[in-house]
Amino acid sequence: MKRLLKIIEAVRPTFEEGGKLHAFKPVFGALEHFFFAPSTTTIGAPHVRDPLDLKRLMSMVIISVVPSVLAAFYFFGLRFILMIIVSYAAGLTVEAIFAMVRKEGINEGFFVTGILFPLILPPGVPLWMVGLGVAFGVFIGKELFGGTGRNIFNPALVGRCFLALAYPKAMSASWFEPSSGLTGRLFEYFSVDPSAVDAVTVATPLAQAKGGEMCSISHLFLGSVSGSAGETSAILIILGGVFLLFTRVASWRTVVSILGSFIVLTWALIGGGAVKCGIPGVFGPVMWHLFAGGLLFGAFFMATDPVTSPTMNAGKWLYGITIGSITVLIRNFTGYVEGVTFAILLGNIVAPILDEIVIGIRIRRLRSEG
Amino acid sequence: MKFRGGHNILLLGRPEGVVRVMPEPEVLYLPLRSRRFVFSEVVVKDGQHVNNGDTLAKDPNNYDVRLLSPRAGVVRLNKDENHIVLEEVAKHEEHVDMAKEELSHIEREMGAGGIKRYRLNVLGAWQFFYDAHTGALPDPLGTPQAIIVSTVSLEPFVARGDVQLHKRLSNFTRGLEQLQSLLEYQPIYLVLPDIKSEFANLIRNHIRGHAWAKMVEIPLTYPYDDFAILARKLGLKRNEGPVWAVRTEGVLAVDRALTLSKPCLIRIVSIGGTGVNSPTHIKVMPGYPIQMIRDKYVFESVARMINGGILTGELLGTETLGLDTECRGITILPELKDREFLGFIRPGWDRSCYAACYLSSLRERFSERFTTGLRGEGRPCISCSFCEEVCPAGIIPHLIHKYLYRDLIEEVEQARVDLCIECGLCSFVCPSKIDLVQQFVDAKRLIEQEKEEIRQEQERQEKLRQEESARKSIKEGIE
Repeated sequence: MKRLLKIIEAVRPTFEEGGKLHAFKPVFGALEHFFFAPSTTTIGAPHVRDPLDLKRLMSMVIISVVPSVLAAFYFFGLRFILMIIVSYAAGLTVEAIFAMVRKEGINEGFFVTGILFPLILPPGVPLWMVGLGVAFGVFIGKELFGGTGRNIFNPALVGRCFLALAYPKAMSASWFEPSSGLTGRLFEYFSVDPSAVDAVTVATPLAQAKGGEMCSISHLFLGSVSGSAGETSAILIILGGVFLLFTRVASWRTVVSILGSFIVLTWALIGGGAVKCGIPGVFGPVMWHLFAGGLLFGAFFMATDPVTSPTMNAGKWLYGITIGSITVLIRNFTGYVEGVTFAILLGNIVAPILDEIVIGIRIRRLRSEG
Repeated sequence: MKFRGGHNILLLGRPEGVVRVMPEPEVLYLPLRSRRFVFSEVVVKDGQHVNNGDTLAKDPNNYDVRLLSPRAGVVRLNKDENHIVLEEVAKHEEHVDMAKEELSHIEREMGAGGIKRYRLNVLGAWQFFYDAHTGALPDPLGTPQAIIVSTVSLEPFVARGDVQLHKRLSNFTRGLEQLQSLLEYQPIYLVLPDIKSEFANLIRNHIRGHAWAKMVEIPLTYPYDDFAILARKLGLKRNEGPVWAVRTEGVLAVDRALTLSKPCLIRIVSIGGTGVNSPTHIKVMPGYPIQMIRDKYVFESVARMINGGILTGELLGTETLGLDTECRGITILPELKDREFLGFIRPGWDRSCYAACYLSSLRERFSERFTTGLRGEGRPCISCSFCEEVCPAGIIPHLIHKYLYRDLIEEVEQARVDLCIECGLCSFVCPSKIDLVQQFVDAKRLIEQEKEEIRQEQERQEKLRQEESARKSIKEGIE
């Protein structure tokens, strides 16, 4: 530990003003502060600060998706490690380049995007697509807006949306039958042999449902169904999500309003029955819809991103209701089988407007104070 | 310290509830500056002998509030430019420095009420008064719409009300009656943590039959003892006249000044914080050498001394040699020394956090050891809205921060940055380590300046117009 600190101090001048590698200062800073907490102290009042910093805050999100990551290993094999590595490498490169250009520190926000992105991809997606998608998401979805804290869209969802629209065939060919059995694929690499792809490709439950075939809720709950790497097991997502709500990193208002509006609207549509839909028998039981697809993952980990969701509490409720309802509408009344990605991105679009409305009301009320 | 948003932390170094007497000093260093006052008008000469309670200096900008000599001694003005140094300090019989002829003059001018207010100022009790809305010293001759008397001090660590009231309850109630005699029909709001407690009943018995005193209960949640928050809670509007606010020590000072006609020279000051070996309250006089306190209580070699509490206190630099007249507590915090290895992935059993991100949230409340460390790097705001959750003033700190970032001063004003009471909670909880309070203080000052400039400009225009019309009328007269 002390030796490491000595090494850091020894190489510091190279990265300082006038040093040979001054351009790489953000990278050095990120590495330094990864290992050692900064030595800065408070200047004036308040003289003490809460221990929570952005690193810790982001680590909490990573901890909360650990169950889903483990599930991805179990169901889809160790190749998922490679997906995570590629995602981090490609995204960090973009992030580091921008940090160097802007002469700012590397932000922790990326560590979340880097792990969330592979979790929402089909498990068999080619590795170059993982890299391309995350680079696109970070570049277009975040850096162009000014980096962490200033982006409008969730970068991981932008990347995923890009891949879905640019390579629909490759994406749809990347769904796989999850493993079952005691050890699952924990000890297999699960090679994607291009010739063998067709043999294992399996439609996701929502796609099957559009064809009139529905799997059982218990399978959805435990996760032994086809789907994106991290979204198949409902129980593990709920486990991690509740942990995230407990730490107050994610807003419970967003989650409750998304799931609540989704359940209410789906229930109403099923109960109404009068809704005539192109494909008969689309509406299954409410719980089935709740557990199918990426809804839970999106509600707990994607929509709750504080930067891209509204900042005001009332805004969060409206935001959640928007996302929940749009998901129901896309899933059931359009050609797409999965609507959460689009719904959350649409939610991101309306978030600033919702904020504007709520803040306007709040400020009008403040005017009469004092 | 409990604050809005449901967080309740204990800080190591809470002063215990007893008052200790410090040894008599030989030299006193009376600072010419304190938080609100600048005693620029020195009325004593170098080498002059002064007695207890003599006026040493006045602040002409604050209604001639006085710096009193807490002990007898010899004045040295040239030893330090920021202090009046008092040497050969001795304790003499207290003596009242009020010229008879001046008193009778004032009585003729302002009546009996005026005399009382004058006495409060001369005997050093007026400095305990605050304007609830602005925090400044109110005009002693003005008429308040109400007086708020607060017995609670919630910030860690300043001298607590219950400690000061110990065994002096009758003085306190007598002080309340004296306060009332300054008013006509305006109410006095007595702020207590629990209006059903034994203590509140005692006070109620003492002031029975007085309709003017109203008891107000507040939760023991920082910073609900802030006067601006209290005034807002009680519905006392800014434009309906000033609201005077005073704490326990102020009421006791009023009692001393008006009942006994004695100057208020002694203060109870808390000594607390992580760097103190036995946190306690001490009885000292203004000007008490800080070095003596340091020698007795501070064991940390590298420690920051703070004049006031941990969240709003000011840095006590080495150039300040003695306690100032407004000091309510000294907090000592050790400076950050070691950089933590992989701090952000530690379980964090020893640190409690607003957002339950450390393992300590599974633990019972415990005393935490704080240092001056910022505990993270400055980052852009991620709109986590923790600051909004804790803000007692009901404004939206992260929104104002973003407006300030874009230089939208008008929007900042509309978002009511002026309601900010500078309690420091938003800066405390911010995970991006943004210094929100400092930004708001600067913004408020900027807005005040702009308003002042506009006012002056308007006055100038008005003057020009008047001159113009005067010239015109003269011209017409000539014609």
